[in-house]
Amino acid sequence: MLKLNETPVRTSRNFNINNIKLDDINIPDSIGNFENITIVNESSNIKIDNNVNNTNLTYGLGTILEKQVKENANQKLNILVDGKTNKELIVDFEFDEDNINLVDNIQVVANENSKATIIIKYQSLENIQAFHNGILKVIAKKNAHINIILLNLLNLKSYNFISVENELKQNAKVNYTIIDFGGKNSITNYYSNLLENNADNKINTIYLGKENQLFDFNYIGELRGEKANINIEVQGAIKDNANKHFKGTIDFKKGCKKAMGDESEFCMLLSDTAKSISLPMLLCSEEDVEGNHSSSAGKIGEKELFYIMSRGFELKEAMKLIVRAMFNKVLENIENKELQKQILKEINIRLD
Amino acid sequence: MSKTNIDEINRNIYDIKNKDEYDYKIKKGLTAEIINEISRQKSDPEWMRQFRLKALEVYNELELPTWGPDISELNMDEIATYVKPKTDLKNSWKDVPEDIKDTFDKLGIPEAEKKSLAGVGAQYDSEVVYHSMKEELIKQGVIYTDMETALREYSEIVKEHFMKCVPIYDHKFVALHGAVWSGGSFVYVPKGVKVDIPLQSYFRLNSPESGQFEHTLIIVDEGASLHFIEGCSAPKYNKVNLHAGCVELYVKDNAYLRYSTIENWSKNMLNLNTKKAVVGKNAQIDWVTGSFGSKISMLYPMSILNGKGAKTEYTGISFAGKGQNLDNGFKVIHNAENTSSVVNAKSISKNGGSCTYRSLVRINDNAKKSKCSVSCESLMLDDISKSDTIPVNDIRTDEVEFSHEAKIGKISDKAIFYLMSRGLSEEDAKAMIVRGFAYPISKELPIEYAVEMNNLINLELDGAIG
Repeated sequence: MLKLNETPVRTSRNFNINNIKLDDINIPDSIGNFENITIVNESSNIKIDNNVNNTNLTYGLGTILEKQVKENANQKLNILVDGKTNKELIVDFEFDEDNINLVDNIQVVANENSKATIIIKYQSLENIQAFHNGILKVIAKKNAHINIILLNLLNLKSYNFISVENELKQNAKVNYTIIDFGGKNSITNYYSNLLENNADNKINTIYLGKENQLFDFNYIGELRGEKANINIEVQGAIKDNANKHFKGTIDFKKGCKKAMGDESEFCMLLSDTAKSISLPMLLCSEEDVEGNHSSSAGKIGEKELFYIMSRGFELKEAMKLIVRAMFNKVLENIENKELQKQILKEINIRLD
Repeated sequence: MSKTNIDEINRNIYDIKNKDEYDYKIKKGLTAEIINEISRQKSDPEWMRQFRLKALEVYNELELPTWGPDISELNMDEIATYVKPKTDLKNSWKDVPEDIKDTFDKLGIPEAEKKSLAGVGAQYDSEVVYHSMKEELIKQGVIYTDMETALREYSEIVKEHFMKCVPIYDHKFVALHGAVWSGGSFVYVPKGVKVDIPLQSYFRLNSPESGQFEHTLIIVDEGASLHFIEGCSAPKYNKVNLHAGCVELYVKDNAYLRYSTIENWSKNMLNLNTKKAVVGKNAQIDWVTGSFGSKISMLYPMSILNGKGAKTEYTGISFAGKGQNLDNGFKVIHNAENTSSVVNAKSISKNGGSCTYRSLVRINDNAKKSKCSVSCESLMLDDISKSDTIPVNDIRTDEVEFSHEAKIGKISDKAIFYLMSRGLSEEDAKAMIVRGFAYPISKELPIEYAVEMNNLINLELDGAIG
């Protein structure tokens, strides 16, 4: 049994949320090569090599998976952003019969006053059981502005493990758009350290679960700088026997005066066997801050369904429309129209 | 500019120490021999003696919690679990020994009994020393007595319900309670009887290096209603005292129970209390809790909504000052259709105090069309204090309406500005905001307790908020 993704603060063991235990997972010993990677980089301000620093993660998913990335990564990318660019960097990992296991270690260093958008995509063929375990580390220096779009479009047989860690310096802005649809198990540890004044981190996540999928999100934001700001918005829909665990922690450390932290989470339950657990934590050691969280769950409103169906749509189509509408705000963050289309197509397929 | 100070709670009344006099005090520690001796002292029936020994076994098997405040300073080898006061149970205050009566007089219990209560129980250390109830309730068949009397006179009811709602396996301190419990109140309200005036039990722990383990068992039968108030306090000693009481509430179909608590233990007290209610069809349990005392508190009342249409409300406030770590909250299990819960929790931290709101909402798959709404707010009055919110929401069916929201922060500058623009001084504005913050809770308390709470949040015009 693999125990992963510990919350920064424990609560009663009976609540079943301090960590996630997986008993039907084998971490591959021999991972082989992963060569089906496409990188589109049209900007002269972005340099890529494979000199990644192996620093310890503050949280991460757990020792075994972290060690695997540090010792056996079969893809290492060190992305240096120096200057501003409007040209997106696209890193596309495609799992197929010959590229089944990916252990990737990606580091993004955004120099002072730099700006870029990075798209990292994981997708797979339908008939394979892929394994992905990765670390993504982002260091945003003074006034850097980085947008990251992270897509998990793996099939429902695969395993997806990812640890994200961000370090934000003065006035740095890091925005994440996370589309998490794939994997039999998709387990994410996300940690942001808002170290300096006016650091700003926004996370918009959408997820879509079906069959026996299990999502475990463990998002942690630590605010240290004055006027630092974090905003976590997570919304998704689950049907069949899918399970979603959301653990969100905003931790106001002493000294982060005038900092703000918001987290909101909404789970739409599309069947009476889907299950949602959430733990939106606020930890506060500083007086002069504003922290809010909200969490809600429920089924699709019958009135909305009735209205749409009275316009001639069938039930399934009406449900799709409502879910797409819910995701729309997040999808609008994605300027790449092709990518938007691909995500919308995935939503349609996965809701069928 | 002079700043406003929100005082630490004035504990003069609560800190009155009587001489540590007792009829019998068991030696410190926790062994089968000690448990047998407690059982002998209390003339337990054999089944209770066996029950205590089983609970001790479970206590020894279970681990300390791996979460929450650090309670490693608790050493059961240094705690006396049974202290028999030098009096038997009395039904008249004049028969209670002078020093004990004097303590309860100062706490205002006999006065409250005259003015606004239908019955009173008063426990001193490990035993109930006074119990009485108005004649008309006795005529209606209401039973309000100490647990020991209940164990003798209503043994079948006690045996059927005792630690069935809160099993000894729940956690280590419930097992401890099962092994050493003593005192507490038993209430039975017959079908259809409405008890309009509250009953109150007051628990006082005077003896140093000891524990109080009272057991409260309340059964509100079908269609009946009751308001029960418990109060607790103790003088401060240098070494830790322990409170590990247990409250079991059975609210039968169509019944109503309001359970109010004003907890004001001394700041050397570890308050590891357990409270649970099982709620029947269309019945309702309301919890109103004010938590002011204790060095460490871990208290999470729980409602199990087993009957269709069952309801619960939790209204609670915690006020943590210097050296206090109050880890409080609420748990609710929705276990039937059309159940509903409303939670309104507030906390104030100051002077290095730490408040945590910890909760569980579980809506099971058989609880379709259920609703739950949770709101918690935390106010930080300085930058050396701490305030955490740790809520778990576990939703296992789709036909639900669930929402949770929480806020954390200091007194709003805008609100102060607004009030000052209306002519209030900064100090008065802040005082008004703090009182307003606590008002939704204090308005749920009986008037004399609301006044006490407002006194506890006493504002002075010299000093500093933040």
